[in-house]
This record gives sequence, structure tokens and C-alpha cells, in this order.
Amino acid sequence: MSGRFAASNQVAIVGYAQSPVQRHAKQPLGVVALDTARSAIADAGLTVSQVDGFTTGSLFPTAGAHTVQDGVSIVSSNWLAEHLGVNPRYAAGFQGYGQIPGAVALAVNAVAAGAADYVLLHRALHNPTGRYHGNPMREAAGFAQWNVPQGYFGPLAMIALPYNEYLQRYGASRETMATVVVEARKNGARIPWSYWYEQPIDVDDYLAAPMICDPICRYDCDIPVDGVAAFVFTSAERARDLPHRPVYVSGYATGHPTARRLPTHWPLDDIMTTGRETGRRLWEHAGLGPADVDLPQVYDGFSPFVYFWLEVLGFCPEGGAHEFVQGGGIDSDAPGGLPVLSGGGALGNGRMHGVPQMLECYLQLSGRAGARQRSAATVGVACHSSPHFGGAVVYRAQGS
Amino acid sequence: MTVAERPIPVPDEESAPYWEAAAAHVLALPRCSNCRAYSMPPDTVCPHCHSTDPRFAFEPVSGRGSVRSWTTVRQSFLPGFDADVPFVLVDVEVDEQPDLRLIGRLLDGPDVPLRIGAPVAVGFEERAPGIAVLAFELRESR
Repeated sequence: MSGRFAASNQVAIVGYAQSPVQRHAKQPLGVVALDTARSAIADAGLTVSQVDGFTTGSLFPTAGAHTVQDGVSIVSSNWLAEHLGVNPRYAAGFQGYGQIPGAVALAVNAVAAGAADYVLLHRALHNPTGRYHGNPMREAAGFAQWNVPQGYFGPLAMIALPYNEYLQRYGASRETMATVVVEARKNGARIPWSYWYEQPIDVDDYLAAPMICDPICRYDCDIPVDGVAAFVFTSAERARDLPHRPVYVSGYATGHPTARRLPTHWPLDDIMTTGRETGRRLWEHAGLGPADVDLPQVYDGFSPFVYFWLEVLGFCPEGGAHEFVQGGGIDSDAPGGLPVLSGGGALGNGRMHGVPQMLECYLQLSGRAGARQRSAATVGVACHSSPHFGGAVVYRAQGS
Repeated sequence: MTVAERPIPVPDEESAPYWEAAAAHVLALPRCSNCRAYSMPPDTVCPHCHSTDPRFAFEPVSGRGSVRSWTTVRQSFLPGFDADVPFVLVDVEVDEQPDLRLIGRLLDGPDVPLRIGAPVAVGFEERAPGIAVLAFELRESR
């Protein structure tokens, strides 16, 4: 059995919209999602009644005690279709981590299989009032009994452990990560819809940020926001009749580690072992390799993911990402620099999960990046979440 | 204003033997009756041999292991730990089985030097009558 995607380059993104990325939207999340969905459909040159498929990953990624309510703190595909007044032929939500590549796979598969002709993929992220991950639980029952009583809780401690394991194993220094965060914020500062528009930081700002779970400081984490993005997918054939240059999906991959672990325990070797397989599968699925990619958008919801993705995708040797970064390897303004955070990432936009990576691939490969348009952008990769639980999608420009 | 308490574990039918042993300051880990591999936490299916009838038995282990990683928590998202920050959490590979990992607070304090591979032994923190929570202590400073 070949690992090559049978529908490679047969399905394309043909339009998009993104809401402002802000700390707290004035309108309910569902309303922002509806407006964004309508804008994306119009951008694709379509009407709402033509859209017959809906996909998303609607996870509310908080460890806090916040209420999960459809249309308020999350927006499911079914909620969106219902409120657009559409009875879709296909509606699905991705259940795992890596919601963006997961939802892209659902959308692409639906179009390729003929389950739907025009699929709207959206992602709606909510920042509740109060502490995002704060949780006043008094009793730890079920799965939580194994980690909460000893104070191991939430995603910051979760990422701090493998990150420190990385620093210790490879003799890397925390200070090097300043280069990653400064790069993300530099690019985010150029993007009008970013929460961090016109707000770059420098190395001293990074090093002065408060430590939260050593070696993770505040600026290693993306900032929680309200925001929605939507993309329209259709077949390459139908895409020819639509106004914008299509961006094709060449392949995708998602990881599923099998080790039994404590809740939120992500050892470095789990991330890298399953992550290498995610990378191998991705290249096989898309029928190309890292040397073919000129726009690799790595995920950066926590900064250490940048190292992990660079390594599992083969852009630098395992254990070598910190040196690659230190040597200017990810400077998107330098000749020869790999533009891995040219779209600002989550650190440079706000907690839009894998949306900034996907959006940068779409904008650059469709030639719609405006003042930020890069001359050489033909093959992009958009990553999301951790390489072991998350995934990535390979995009290709028309005629490339 | 009342000070928040740390969350207390709620033993269930499956985990009761673990918490009973912990109350006696004994680390007892679930072991598959079919393949004899430890899994933590236990599962409905053995993650090693995939038996659907693992009949996990909680067996005492040495409580010794080595540090694979650590983090110093300076802000806890559990209000019950606000009075305890900063504290160190260690990710420990226990001696009984490769890659069998547990996470607990390090009782030696937040400023103790650490390294990958540092030997530790299990300790326990009394949290409520009959409830003790797993923690670790360095072995090499003794």
C-alpha cells in the first residue's frame, strides 16, 4: 500500500476570511463565526446555499473550569450550518489534537469523495473571562486523580517538562528561544489583524518576562484571544471557475501516540518518536520532502514546538534546532533564512491554534499576501499542535 | 477570605488499592495479570499486551527511580497550590520498568540542583485522613 495521498492536489482552498484577533470580542463567538463564514463564502465567489459541507475542530483548549457551550465558547460545524440556515450533506468535527490539520483532512476527504462539493472549514477560538487555565477544583476524580493531587496540572507544566528535557539533553540554553519569539512577534507586528499588530518585542523584553513553569516564561506562550477563521474547499476542477487562484492540498498527516501516560504527560521521546513518524507520513502522503518546501509554517502555540517541528520535518538534525535558530536559520527577512514563522504564528497573532500557519500558506501561495507577499512561495507546510498528537498539511501553489 | 485547599484525590473502585497503599506510604503500581507489565495509570485494556482482561493488580515497587526532567512551578493554575509556589515537579522513570514514568513534587525544595538521571526515592505528602499523595526526594544528597 502506497502512503501517497490518492487525492493529492485534487482539492483546493478557494477563499477565506478571518475576524479580528482580539482579547475579548464585543459579539458572542457564534456571531463572529457566522459573519466570518459568510465573508469566506463570498470571498470564494459562492453563495451560502452552495455550501454543502462543514468541518471544524471545536475543542476549547482550556484546563480551566469554563463552560463549554456551542455558539458561545465553542462553535461546532453543526451549529454553524444550522445558523447559516443550511442543511448540509456533510458536517463533521475532528476529535483529536491538531484540530486544523484534522479538520482539513475531513474537508479534503469529503470533497475528494464527492460527499460535498463546497466545504467550509472554520475554527473559532474563545478567551473566557477570568484565568484561562485557572481551575478551582477541590476534588480530583477519574483521570485527574493521577496528576492533579501532586500539582501537575495544565499545559504550561505539560510543555515545560519535555522542553527542559530537550535543554538538558542537547545542552541548549533558554536564552536561544528569544530568537524564536522575537521572530514570531516581528512578523505578527506586520499583520493588521494580529493582536500584536505593531507590537514587536526584542530579546531583552523576552528575557525580562516572568517565569511561569521553568523553563517556560510568559512569552513562550501564545495569548488567549477571541477570533475566527474560515476557509472554503472545493475540487480543483470547480476551483477553475472561481475568482481566486486555488491553493491545492498535496497531503496531510496526523500523529497518534500509543504510550499510556499520566494526564497531560508528554515526554520528549514520545513527541519525537511519534513526531518523526508524522513527518515521514507527511512527506510520503504529499510526494515530496523538506527540500521542496519554501514556506514551512511550524506550530508555535508554545515556543518549544518550533524546535520539535523543525526536527521531525527534517529541516535540521534532531537536537540541532536550537543551533539552527541561533545561527539565523529562521529569519524570514534574511536571504536563505527559512520563513518558518513568516505568518507570525500563534505567538505573533494570538491563540488562533494552527490558523496563522494555514492562513500564511494560503495567502502566500494564492498570491494574496499583499505587502507581505514573498516572491518564492510555491510549496507550504502548515503545522499544528505537537508533532506527536498534532499534524501538518502540505499546500501547493497553482502551476508549481 | 478562605485559603484554597489543594485538590484531594477521589479513589474509585479501580484505584482504591493504589490509594490504600499510598496511605501506608507504599507505592503500588498496577500490573497486568496477563503480560506482567506495569501501566500508570491503569486502563481498561493493557497498553502493552492489549489484553481486554488485564485484571490489574497493584503491586508494591521499590519507589526508586531517576529524574528524566523537571520544572519549577512559579504560578499554579490550581489555587490550592498558590501557597506552595515555587515548587519543583520531577518527571521520574521508575527502576522497575523502562519508560514507566511518574510525576510528583520534589520535597527537597525549589533551589536544589538537579540533573537528568539524578536518583530519587518516593515520598508521600499527607493531605487528609487516609490520603497521602506521591512525591519524590533526592537520594544522592543523603
